[in-house]
Amino acid sequence: MLEVRDVIKTFDGRAVVNRVSFEVRPGEIFALLGPNGAGKTTLIRMITDILKPDSGEIRLEGRPVGGDSRRHIAYLPEERGLYRRVPVIDVLAYYGELKGMSAHAARASGLALLERMDLGEWAKKQVQTLSKGMQQKVQFCTALIGEPRLLILDEPFTGLDPINTQLFEDLLAERRAAGSTVLLSTHQMNKVEELCDRALMINRGHMVLYGSVREFRRQYADHAVLVHGGPQAAAGPAFGGCPGVRQVERADGDWKLLLEPDATPQSVLRELVARDIAIESFAVATLPLEDVFVKVVREGLGLDHGQSGPPTLDEPARGGAR
Amino acid sequence: MTFSWARALIVARREYLTVVRRKAFLFTIIAVPLYFGGIMTLNTVIGSSGRRESLRSFTRLGVVDSSGLYANPTLSFVTPMAADPFKAGAKAETYRTEVALYPGQPALEKAIRSGELSQGLVIAADYLESGRLRRYARSSGIFSGAGSGRPIERWLVKNLLAGRGDSLRIERAARPAGALDFYTLSKQGRFEVQGDRREMLEFMIPLLFAVLLGMCIMTGGQYLLQGVSEEKESRILESLLCTLSAEDLLAGKMLGLGAVGFTLVAVWMGAGVALSAPMLAMAEVHLSPALLALAVVYFLLGYVFYASLMTGLGAVTSNMRESQQFAVMLSFANFLPIILILPLMAHPDGTLAVTLSLLPPTAPGTMMLRLASPLANVPTWQIAASLALLALAGWVVLRGAARVFRIGLLMYGKTPNLPEILRWARAGK
Repeated sequence: MLEVRDVIKTFDGRAVVNRVSFEVRPGEIFALLGPNGAGKTTLIRMITDILKPDSGEIRLEGRPVGGDSRRHIAYLPEERGLYRRVPVIDVLAYYGELKGMSAHAARASGLALLERMDLGEWAKKQVQTLSKGMQQKVQFCTALIGEPRLLILDEPFTGLDPINTQLFEDLLAERRAAGSTVLLSTHQMNKVEELCDRALMINRGHMVLYGSVREFRRQYADHAVLVHGGPQAAAGPAFGGCPGVRQVERADGDWKLLLEPDATPQSVLRELVARDIAIESFAVATLPLEDVFVKVVREGLGLDHGQSGPPTLDEPARGGAR
Repeated sequence: MTFSWARALIVARREYLTVVRRKAFLFTIIAVPLYFGGIMTLNTVIGSSGRRESLRSFTRLGVVDSSGLYANPTLSFVTPMAADPFKAGAKAETYRTEVALYPGQPALEKAIRSGELSQGLVIAADYLESGRLRRYARSSGIFSGAGSGRPIERWLVKNLLAGRGDSLRIERAARPAGALDFYTLSKQGRFEVQGDRREMLEFMIPLLFAVLLGMCIMTGGQYLLQGVSEEKESRILESLLCTLSAEDLLAGKMLGLGAVGFTLVAVWMGAGVALSAPMLAMAEVHLSPALLALAVVYFLLGYVFYASLMTGLGAVTSNMRESQQFAVMLSFANFLPIILILPLMAHPDGTLAVTLSLLPPTAPGTMMLRLASPLANVPTWQIAASLALLALAGWVVLRGAARVFRIGLLMYGKTPNLPEILRWARAGK
């Protein structure tokens, strides 16, 4: 769907985006992560053809971005705004026409979106009469109009109440079901865990993580398993004698079994079953994505890759916790 | 970045309709001509009624004659005045002034102070050789002496020559050019009568052309500056620039808002021509199609030049107030020919006029002044050179502005310095 290959962008001699490569697959919700100033906005501006990369290439559905591809990309920027003294429906119709719709179709589509956002009765009101939250919903409509194939959302949930957050999530799910691909840039890691299959994290312009979100969480967690046991297992020390387990800790009502480097979760599970210890649940320990983020950024993990390319699932970031 | 006319036209339509649908635009289109028309009418009414009032109150003139030339003067004179054009059915009027002789200046001054006299005239002993006179009046208001100067002069002539010729000759000597027809060579090579009204029109028409052209250019430019600044301030551009290129946006804005300026001036001009058509016809003023065509060409090129500068300005400044401060300088350059209208009209083919009509910032206004002036004889090469230079400057500024626009739009909070702007304009980064 979207292919970014070896993209470099420099400002005043400083590489703001440095040899970044990734791919977003059709129909997925892909997260673009990174601390403030990492180069995310510059990367998005290059994907939307607002900026040109110094080198490298960006392709949408096999063709270089720019030109006609514009009508297939929609962008909800973090810095948002709308024409203030214009009726809401006119704003949507304008964006729709710019994306190649006829004036009539753009208005009809705009009205349908407003209805979906519970803003139908505000269609003819001036934007400036709407509350901030309502304006955010209108802004979201400007991104959705024209049924873009690639939807780029930068912090779409900021400032939304839980009901509207749910509404946005439902709309994303609908767009995904309709075949759109979503590139989501956010600092709300719980949303990434909830919505995204894969992610790219950049730091100081470099790729530091790229791949499955679930795998990051496992990759950067302790080499451990979480066990919730029955009465027999209530005494943690019962796990202590298992081969492959080097330490046992309590963790939110579970037992966290830290494993020897050469042990695997499968071998430990087999041993527990063999010992007839009652187990209600058994899971490989994972780290919340937020902790992964903090760890990677604070410790500068992945920044020493230099020219060797990004860490992937096949080639984990050096300096990782494993 | 690829340019799309389709997207540029969508932007142009939106920009045009957004502005012309605003109440402020309707107000401007109606209120500005009313305002200027009102001021001009008020000035004329005040001037005319001031002169009438001055003559009406000029009932008694006291004369101290030290020369002995006016021993037995006529003791009254009548001043005619055309009908008041601002009063329906008004007729021509005459105002009578009585003349009283006074033995000396102190008595005269006393009579003026007491209100017995409206004005006083002291004729010097050597008046015949020197022409020395003193005129005294009660007030020093602008119109206090207006209109009474010529009647006094005529009274002096008539009484000086009394008994030295027949009354017709004396009357003619008092008003030697009372019915003068002044013929001047027109651009068409014909001698044409140069009436007062025609003379005024020949001054006013070039002025009007230059002012309207300047306003047309600046109106579109100002809307452009305002629009870009507003969009930048309200952070609309980021999402918009995902959908269309900066070039689409720039072209659309220039087209749409240029059309706004054109509409505004076309309406004003149309109304002005319709209202003044009888006067123009009476003065046999013909606006040549070539002049109108050149006005359109100068508008287009001048607009591209100034609108590009305004756009660049809107893109690099961080808010409306800041951009307006710089825009004043552009307005000044655009209206410089109007400021210099007197020297330009006095010597429409002089060095100053030729120089300003070749310099791109002042070319549209100056050329309009010269082309519409009956006194100027603008060679074709000057028109061609002026248009070529303006077109070249417009193209260079447009290219630079497009680059500055693309970069400046997404820079918030910081106004770049001049070297940075020039670097963007040259290299686009």
